[in-house]
Amino acid sequence: MLLVLADEHKEHLGFLNEVDVEVVREFCRIAMEFIRSGPNPKLYQSAAQKLSVASETVQHGVEGLMFLLTEAARYMISEIDFQDSIMTLGFSEDLRSLLLQLYLDNRTEIRTILSEMSMDLPHYHNLEWRLEVTVASRTLRHQVTPRLMMKLHTQDSGEKDVQVLQTDPVNLLHMTRVLEGALAEMKSTHCRRIVRNIK
Amino acid sequence: MELSAEVQEGLQLCGDSAQISDSAFNFLLKAACNTLLHGRQRDRGVLDDPSVSQSDPSVLKQVFASLTTLFLEAAKHNADSTNTSSLLEDSKMSPDRIEAFNNVYMSNKIELQSVLSSTGSGFPHVVDVDWRLDYYMKNNHLDHVNEPTYLVTLKTEEPGSSQLKDVQFACTVEQLQDMVGKLKDACKSMEKASQS
Amino acid sequence: MEEVDNIIIHTLREIGCGLDDDVQSLKHFSTENIVEATVKCLRVIGDGVNISPALPPGMSARYRVGTQLATSCQELGFRGDIGYQTFLYSNEADIRRVLMFLIEKMPKEAAEVASEPMGKSAMLKRSIAAELDRQMKSAWTPSYCKQDGLCWRGTKPRQWHREGLIGVRRFHSCPVRTPEGVGDITKKIPKDLKRYYDKHLQPLTSQPPQSSQVVPSVVEANDLSVTAQQEWEAEWNQQGLPSRLSEEDYKARKRQRLEKRISDQLRQAIQQETSKATAGRDLLQVLSSFTDRGAGKGVTKGSRFTHTEKLQFAQDEETAAQMMGEGPRVDTEEEMQRKREEEVEQLRGQLEEVTGQLQSLDVEMKKFTAGIQQMEEKVNTEVRGRSDKEEAYKVKKRTLDLLPDAENNITKLQGVVDGSSQRLVNLAQQWEKHRVPLIQQYRELKELNANRESQSEKKLEEIKSLREKMKEVADEARGKDDVYKQLASEYERMTKDVNRGAYTKRIMEIVGNIKKQKEEIDKILIDTRDVQKEINQLTGKLDRTFAVTDELIFRDAKKDEAVRKAYKSLAALHENCEQLIKTVEETGGIMREIRDLEDQIETEGAKKTTQNLDRIMGDFKQMKQENSGIVAKLKGK
Repeated sequence: MLLVLADEHKEHLGFLNEVDVEVVREFCRIAMEFIRSGPNPKLYQSAAQKLSVASETVQHGVEGLMFLLTEAARYMISEIDFQDSIMTLGFSEDLRSLLLQLYLDNRTEIRTILSEMSMDLPHYHNLEWRLEVTVASRTLRHQVTPRLMMKLHTQDSGEKDVQVLQTDPVNLLHMTRVLEGALAEMKSTHCRRIVRNIK
Repeated sequence: MELSAEVQEGLQLCGDSAQISDSAFNFLLKAACNTLLHGRQRDRGVLDDPSVSQSDPSVLKQVFASLTTLFLEAAKHNADSTNTSSLLEDSKMSPDRIEAFNNVYMSNKIELQSVLSSTGSGFPHVVDVDWRLDYYMKNNHLDHVNEPTYLVTLKTEEPGSSQLKDVQFACTVEQLQDMVGKLKDACKSMEKASQS
Repeated sequence: MEEVDNIIIHTLREIGCGLDDDVQSLKHFSTENIVEATVKCLRVIGDGVNISPALPPGMSARYRVGTQLATSCQELGFRGDIGYQTFLYSNEADIRRVLMFLIEKMPKEAAEVASEPMGKSAMLKRSIAAELDRQMKSAWTPSYCKQDGLCWRGTKPRQWHREGLIGVRRFHSCPVRTPEGVGDITKKIPKDLKRYYDKHLQPLTSQPPQSSQVVPSVVEANDLSVTAQQEWEAEWNQQGLPSRLSEEDYKARKRQRLEKRISDQLRQAIQQETSKATAGRDLLQVLSSFTDRGAGKGVTKGSRFTHTEKLQFAQDEETAAQMMGEGPRVDTEEEMQRKREEEVEQLRGQLEEVTGQLQSLDVEMKKFTAGIQQMEEKVNTEVRGRSDKEEAYKVKKRTLDLLPDAENNITKLQGVVDGSSQRLVNLAQQWEKHRVPLIQQYRELKELNANRESQSEKKLEEIKSLREKMKEVADEARGKDDVYKQLASEYERMTKDVNRGAYTKRIMEIVGNIKKQKEEIDKILIDTRDVQKEINQLTGKLDRTFAVTDELIFRDAKKDEAVRKAYKSLAALHENCEQLIKTVEETGGIMREIRDLEDQIETEGAKKTTQNLDRIMGDFKQMKQENSGIVAKLKGK
């Protein structure tokens, strides 16, 4: 699919066309740093001074570049589509190939960063278990009650949570059976068809 | 098994045929056992019965309390009829009353123990598992995620509440495989323990 | 031999050899059977032998198999001749030896079910294993299908296990009340209490508000009572008995002591409370002063403010305690604050003055009391001295009075003295007379008492020892019962397909037979020895008689012709008899040789050597053909 760029976006990116390829490379690097760790205004100042333009223009250029990259990574645009999208900007051949390279190199990283921003449910992290037998209690001495203690570690976007649970042999076997059935469901034809067809 | 002095006093009273007749004794045995086993149906009139109307009410109540305590303590320590017989002989009860007690006790011992086991504590106990398989396609930041996700709900019971509580979490296929692998390890170790 | 064969065939069938039913003895074993049997035995022994039990058709392969089997048997330690010929061209005795050796080498499974330790930990493990097994085999039911979370199985004995916590409640007890001492006629129960017991007190199980609290409350009530009694017993034995008070006195004294302490502390706290300038202290601080622990430890939770206050007022507390109720009042209104402070300063100054005065007065009082005490002591000593002196004065006065009439008085006095000493002696004698029987009585009674005590002690000890023995015997019986149950369950668990009884019977029979044979052999040996002795005796006799007759006749032979003839015939007779004896011995020897040779012929005949030779020739030709075929193939390639 093609990216449709807003006019403002095109304007911001048009600035890149006016400078050297080296400078654009530098801008690409700054854009990636932005995506990774946030904006760095001092850099804009120094760059603007070097290029003798307003710092705002520099900032817009970098932000435009960054937005272009994130949108492309978001929709997983193929190379051809990417090239076609930036064709409308009227960049030179070198610039275009540079941007394409930048896009291809950093696509997965951008996607990982984006996925951290999305919502997350508490995820299974680890399960520890131990088998115990209760041999006596305050109200009943002389008993033999086996039980399985479990510690379930879950993680919810960085927050860890630990829960202690217990179960007995019958329920453990039932639980294992049910979850094995759940895993087997992935290999059924229905699931495979869906996975194959939704790309 | 230790019984307090008041309980032993009550047992001695219980063996005294002048205060408690035989029919009253049998009724008291059954009443004590039944109120312990079917606890929810206890009521105030548990000692209202023609066979015990002859005896002194406070004596009745003391004897009833002692018999109840003896049933519970004997079941708690898993005592068999020899232990209870020796204890009742120390309280000077006649042999046929001892035998009547032993009959009622031994025939209900297992149920008494099951009632005793209903007092305790524990962590949330997993009794059932529900699962749902979703295909995670996209979110508002990212397209083409395309990952199958399982949503697993463990239904747990907690002491003191009659509702099931849910423990929910999500996992990918690998995480679920990891969890199932660990559960299978637990099953295998249980099987090994059951064979040694 | 048949029994040995039967045992061998049975064992081979057990490990899985497919032997036909009409194979009854080792004579009927074919080469395939032998090879199969050997391979299976080697497998069971665990040699890791990779030979298939079926004989391969090719001769060279068969030869290889044979040598492999032979080497494995030799590795296992078989002594004796063994080679490929034992398996391929077999004879009965060799096969029997090899198979018996292999079967003996097989691991004895019976030995593994050795006597398991019957310690408590083993029993616990076994019960855990049984419970786990039982639970793992039961089917799963959802939680709403179980009553109270319990799962009942089986009929007799009914077994249960708990799945889930739905019926479980926490241990929560509530205090319960039962009538006490109702049946004891000696104790008097007030009327009101009796009426309460009769009409208003609920039966024990109806008292707790929730049915899940019945069990904990009953158990808790019993435990409380038992612990209280145990503590009282411990305290009584440690502190009560040495104090030599009766129980009620000891309890009354303890109660008094505790009440006094409580009232003292409360009084102190109130006084401290009323002498304070600002808000009172924490309740905890007051309570902490009740305990005996040092002032440093107790839980003083007051704020820093109250702490500094405490230090400030520490000195004033003593004086305040003596001047009850006198002290500055608290007034938290801010307008009057300064005025109050001035007043407080003034009053404090006054207080200090008065305290100082009081202290000096105190000191003087103490001095005076000390002085009073001293004086009193002096007075006492003076009084004592006076009475002594009075007595001395009286005595001296009497002597002075009696002095003029000295001699008479002396004799009178002597007489008085004698009289009084006599009286003393009389009294002593009378006392003795009284005392002796009384002492005897006392001793007798003491002995009786001691006897009775010792008898009762002896009886108590006997009873104790009898009870202990009873308990021991009961314990032993129980232990043996447990052992019996365990062994019975083990016996049931063991498989019973091998008829051990028949084997043991046969073994005993064989042992008996062998004993009888041994006896017979011994008898024969004894007989042979006797016969040998007789023979020796007779030969000896013969020699001696011959020597004697020889001499006799020889002496007469020189004179008489007839005697010379007799002598010649005697010599001839002796020689012939000797030859006869020799021939008889030779015949016996030859008979023995014949028997030996016959035995050898039998064993050789059983070896089937001619048959095997034919087969060897046939196989040899076959091998030659195969070899030439292979050589031709090689050349052809």
